[in-house]
Amino acid sequence: MDQILNVLIIGLLLGGIYGLVSIGLNLIFGVVRIVNFAQGELVMLGMYGSYFAYTQFNISPYLSFLVVAPLVGLIGIVIQRFVIQPLRAESNMQIFATFGLLMMFQNIMLMVTKGEAYSIGGESSRWSLSVGELSLSVVRLIVFVAVTLITVGLHIFLNKTLTGKSIRAVTQDKLGARAMGINVERTYLLTFGIGATLAGFAGAMLTPIYSITPGVGGNFILAAFAVVVLGGLGSVWGAYLGGLIVGVVEALAGYYIDPVLRSAVWFMIFLVVLMVRPSGLLGMVGAEEVGFREQN
Amino acid sequence: MNKTKDAADTLSKGGTFADQAIDADSSKLIETPKSLSFKYLGCMVLLFLPVLLLARYPQWINIVAFTYLMGAVAVAWNIIGGFGGQFSLGHGVFFSIGAYMTAALFINYGLSPWITIFPIALVAGLVSVLISWPTFRLRGPFFAIATLAFNEVMFVLANHFDSLTGGPRGLMIPFKAGFANMIFTERSYYAYLMFGFAAFSVGVSVVVRYSRLGYYLLAVREDEDCARACGINVLNVKLSGMAISAMLTSMGGTLFTMYLRYIDPPTLFTMSDIGVKFALLSLIGGIGTIAGPILGAALIIPFENYLRTELSNGLPGSNLAVLGFLMVLAALFMKKGIYGLFQEKYGKANKPALPTPMSVKPGGGAT
Repeated sequence: MDQILNVLIIGLLLGGIYGLVSIGLNLIFGVVRIVNFAQGELVMLGMYGSYFAYTQFNISPYLSFLVVAPLVGLIGIVIQRFVIQPLRAESNMQIFATFGLLMMFQNIMLMVTKGEAYSIGGESSRWSLSVGELSLSVVRLIVFVAVTLITVGLHIFLNKTLTGKSIRAVTQDKLGARAMGINVERTYLLTFGIGATLAGFAGAMLTPIYSITPGVGGNFILAAFAVVVLGGLGSVWGAYLGGLIVGVVEALAGYYIDPVLRSAVWFMIFLVVLMVRPSGLLGMVGAEEVGFREQN
Repeated sequence: MNKTKDAADTLSKGGTFADQAIDADSSKLIETPKSLSFKYLGCMVLLFLPVLLLARYPQWINIVAFTYLMGAVAVAWNIIGGFGGQFSLGHGVFFSIGAYMTAALFINYGLSPWITIFPIALVAGLVSVLISWPTFRLRGPFFAIATLAFNEVMFVLANHFDSLTGGPRGLMIPFKAGFANMIFTERSYYAYLMFGFAAFSVGVSVVVRYSRLGYYLLAVREDEDCARACGINVLNVKLSGMAISAMLTSMGGTLFTMYLRYIDPPTLFTMSDIGVKFALLSLIGGIGTIAGPILGAALIIPFENYLRTELSNGLPGSNLAVLGFLMVLAALFMKKGIYGLFQEKYGKANKPALPTPMSVKPGGGAT
């Protein structure tokens, strides 16, 4: 029994990580329907940024994210303005362009670091809380709390504020939104910026957990797409739920089946959900189509 | 509202096509089998030139052979990705089926790749139908992501089932030189072999493009809902296109294995080298055209080779960074590829250029 509980806890904490890396993509892909394969690289840049801050200025990632995340967001805005904006209506070209960006970022970092893996983990990654017989990794717990807070915050932002409502309006009907006086281009820019900032934030939060390599973003990107689609496109709580599902499934599969196969198992689940219910668990049925129809 | 506008657009487009067809000399618009085979033969002679000229230079002949191979598989990808507009990023799955089955049958049973290449291609075609059946419910980027996930699942499985695939250690094909084994000591023979495959692949592509299936594929690409309304069985058309594409891709995998004589999961499933590369070559050359993928390969593969030898000695990864940059540029400024550029500049005025998938608004199909 304790074993199962332990595996579940590990899975939930892992799910928090998946949720955190997916939450930015949920805005970018789920809400404004941009296929951004470079999202994982933005997380990677966030990790390198906070690593740099830690080694050069001795600032903890839990503080440096205040600078790192907006910087990554700025990169995101530049990408949106000069690469995505001209390709608004062409999702296939977005795939190409953002995959090209993925290769660029990944290999530029490979050039800079010469392929050496960095890590600031050290002692902080081994801190743990003991609850009864369970031990919880503190850094992962922080991630879990962070993703929960951000999900709540994003929910409030999208539903209660005028800016958030305008983002949702643009998603639902671009033409109608424009007629209501919403600056559509600026809304896209803003949304992409927020999504990229969240990716940078995720990177900072993950720096104490993972060792940092140029390819680390590649580990997250498919997981992030899976989480977004699984949970439901554009549904903030869907991404949260999707992240937890993927995390728990991965932990269970790793424990009971084979650690090598753990990602294959949730990929299978992802594929099944994608085919049976492309709008995801919490998404509006048909939402995956609407977003693409209105992009002309 | 939007829907009807789209339909009207499509109708009016069809109208202009018909008008042009009446205006222009009809013999130039409709390719007869005879004119097609003449063109095909002419192009194949051109395609044969590199191997003829470079056969004596060992440092070049490897690049030429690999260019033919990648070009041929890009042509295969283009059948479903370009004609059909279904952006598969999972062609690595079919490529690896060809590669692994060839290696396993050769190593364990001594079966020559000459015998196994077609049956394996059939298996790959069958697998492609099985996994595409549910996947074709998805459109546009969702289809691309799903195929990407298939690629990833196969990668994990190939690592796991090491009794079949050798796992992370990979499989080594023993060097038993001989024509019967498709293993040559003379490297230029590989170039001839790959040329043969490229010629075959282009031939299949031409036949498909000008067959009923080809026109159906174009119709599905332009507007899936309209195509269905016109009585086209969309799923069947997509599945047929995918099966042909997968079979050719698997044959490419077979030749790849016999050429490298070593395969492991990273070689077969790395997106930037395999799955996305096929699509990239088509994009650079011209998606949805017959010559495009070959042109793309002829440009990119030697260029990449040059970058790899020149740049990556100093800085690891710099060649791929350049390639990624090119990819972004191509997506932004060269959506119709090199072939499209040529067509714009030197294309005959009376020949209505078929819209490439990119030039079409995502109206109904969400391409």
